[in-house]
Amino acid sequence: MGISCVKGCRLVWVIVAIGVGVCCHRPPNTSRNVTIEFEIKPKPVRVGPVVICFTLTDAVNHPVTGAQIEVEGDMSHAGMSPVFAQANEVQAGHYESQLSLAMAGDWVILLHGALRDGEKLERQFDVRDVRPN
Amino acid sequence: MNQASIPSEENLDPTPFDLMQVPVLGPLFRWRYARPFLQAPLLLISVAMILHGLFGPSLAPKNLATTLSWLHFRGILVLVLLCAGNFFCLACPFMLVRQVARRFFRPRFTWPRALRNKWVSVALFVLILFTYELFDLWSSPWWTAWLIIGYFLSVLVVDGLFKHATFCKFVCPIGQFNFVASTLSPFEVKVRDQDVCTRCLTKDCIRGRRDATSDLVVIRGCELALFQPRKVGNMDCTFCLDCIHACPHDNVGILSRLPGTELLGDSLRSGIGYFSRRNDLAALVVVFTFGALLNAFGMVSPVYAVENWLGKVLHVSHEAPVLGLIFAAFLILEPVLLLGSAGLLTQAWGGVQRAFLPLVVRYSYGLVPIGFGMWLAHYGFHFLTGLYTIIPVTQNFLASLGFPFLGEPRWTLTGLPANAVQVIEIGFLVLGFVGSLAVTHGLADEDFPANALRAFIPWAVVCAVLFGASLWLIFQPMEMRATLMSG
Repeated sequence: MGISCVKGCRLVWVIVAIGVGVCCHRPPNTSRNVTIEFEIKPKPVRVGPVVICFTLTDAVNHPVTGAQIEVEGDMSHAGMSPVFAQANEVQAGHYESQLSLAMAGDWVILLHGALRDGEKLERQFDVRDVRPN
Repeated sequence: MNQASIPSEENLDPTPFDLMQVPVLGPLFRWRYARPFLQAPLLLISVAMILHGLFGPSLAPKNLATTLSWLHFRGILVLVLLCAGNFFCLACPFMLVRQVARRFFRPRFTWPRALRNKWVSVALFVLILFTYELFDLWSSPWWTAWLIIGYFLSVLVVDGLFKHATFCKFVCPIGQFNFVASTLSPFEVKVRDQDVCTRCLTKDCIRGRRDATSDLVVIRGCELALFQPRKVGNMDCTFCLDCIHACPHDNVGILSRLPGTELLGDSLRSGIGYFSRRNDLAALVVVFTFGALLNAFGMVSPVYAVENWLGKVLHVSHEAPVLGLIFAAFLILEPVLLLGSAGLLTQAWGGVQRAFLPLVVRYSYGLVPIGFGMWLAHYGFHFLTGLYTIIPVTQNFLASLGFPFLGEPRWTLTGLPANAVQVIEIGFLVLGFVGSLAVTHGLADEDFPANALRAFIPWAVVCAVLFGASLWLIFQPMEMRATLMSG
């Protein structure tokens, strides 16, 4: 093949650099001081209305109150309608919201919003194997 | 069967419409750099998909790699094939990279003679369908990005080592899909006047145009070995425009035709040979047709019941063997039973003397329309119901790059309502069914004019079974699991 040694080495370096960059990539650490205990009801989860419950606690296990959290449900396949709902604080640090899951399969529930002090909160929970009715 | 027995498109359409005569399009296609001009945007999009797939959100609906690959690319691809022709291969970004790489690597080898057929690409086509289900590629931006990278690397390796368009003709599974589907496209690259070709001495369309002084090829001829005057239809044609640019008589156009006519007839086709002798091509058609049903079956609720049942019966908890059995049932058992029965009935009932395998091979091409109808229904559904999702995903992508000028992502944007799209899906299936009936009837009429109906009925039954299965599939509740077998 008509390639010079220098050009070949350069090409290999570029490929190696891209490969190293890609392979060393890790998603950013999203952990915060807030711990979330997540639950979805009823179980097993079926297509239709579900209740998303979650409890926020801080580093010393005190409930985190006053958070404004939006709950988003997405299918694992692109192109499906996401569902949204606002979470209500039903007890100190305990939040609930209702979603209607439109399709059987795997869902991903995203919690996004802000704590009372303005700190952002983003978490993701997998809800696998939602059964058809 | 000789050339004269093919339904002549000239008889059906004496003045075919020529895309090369359309303002803007004609001059664009005649421009020597038309192909890179069309490839460059797709290459940029591919790079964006790779980067977003590797470094962007891990959730498929929020990532360019998965949204563009599994919704928009597939949907646009089948619709363009239906409405125009194989224009994706024309704008293929992989070939742009190959062209650049060939400035550094000059391929030395010729593709081994034993592999000059579709068997490798059939195997890769099945492999892609299998990995799509096994690794849930549709739900993984990371793996989707690696699939695209893998594709680029494969192109570079194959076409870096082997001369001509080896990757396109013998390896590329997407290309094979396009070749088969484009047999139903309304346009083909074709000579305008055969007499001009008869008088032509240079045959630049296949040899390439050479510089008068240096004798070096300055404009490539067809790299896929399709000699224009003897080319029939779109099979193996990438719409690369090389023949159009090379022809010194401006005698190659992109002409309209009756879709599917190339599936009839059994003349010697340049670069292809005889359809009825190409077992590999028939296998590709079978995978194309039955794979369409299989791919859709992987997204509806009954598949999980079948998988769990198989897992329990076989005492297997791993996904791969169960999926392998389902693939074998769809791609081997079902075609053997259906096509084998139809072939035997045609021989027995129709009093047909033709040998069994060539008979089945020939009639298998009649299934292309119904297979394409199912691909259209499936991919069209995802594309249309998720049509607008590209907007928030692009907003999110640009915002993540520090260019939030498109505003906050509007995640509520999705697409057309599913019940409206279902009507379109049924339309595609009916179109495919009618197309398959027309082609198989045309084949029976050509082969056994005295007993055409008897020869046709077994194949009509096969088409009806496939149509019924396709209809049943699109009415099943969708279920999209990344985990195949539930606990």
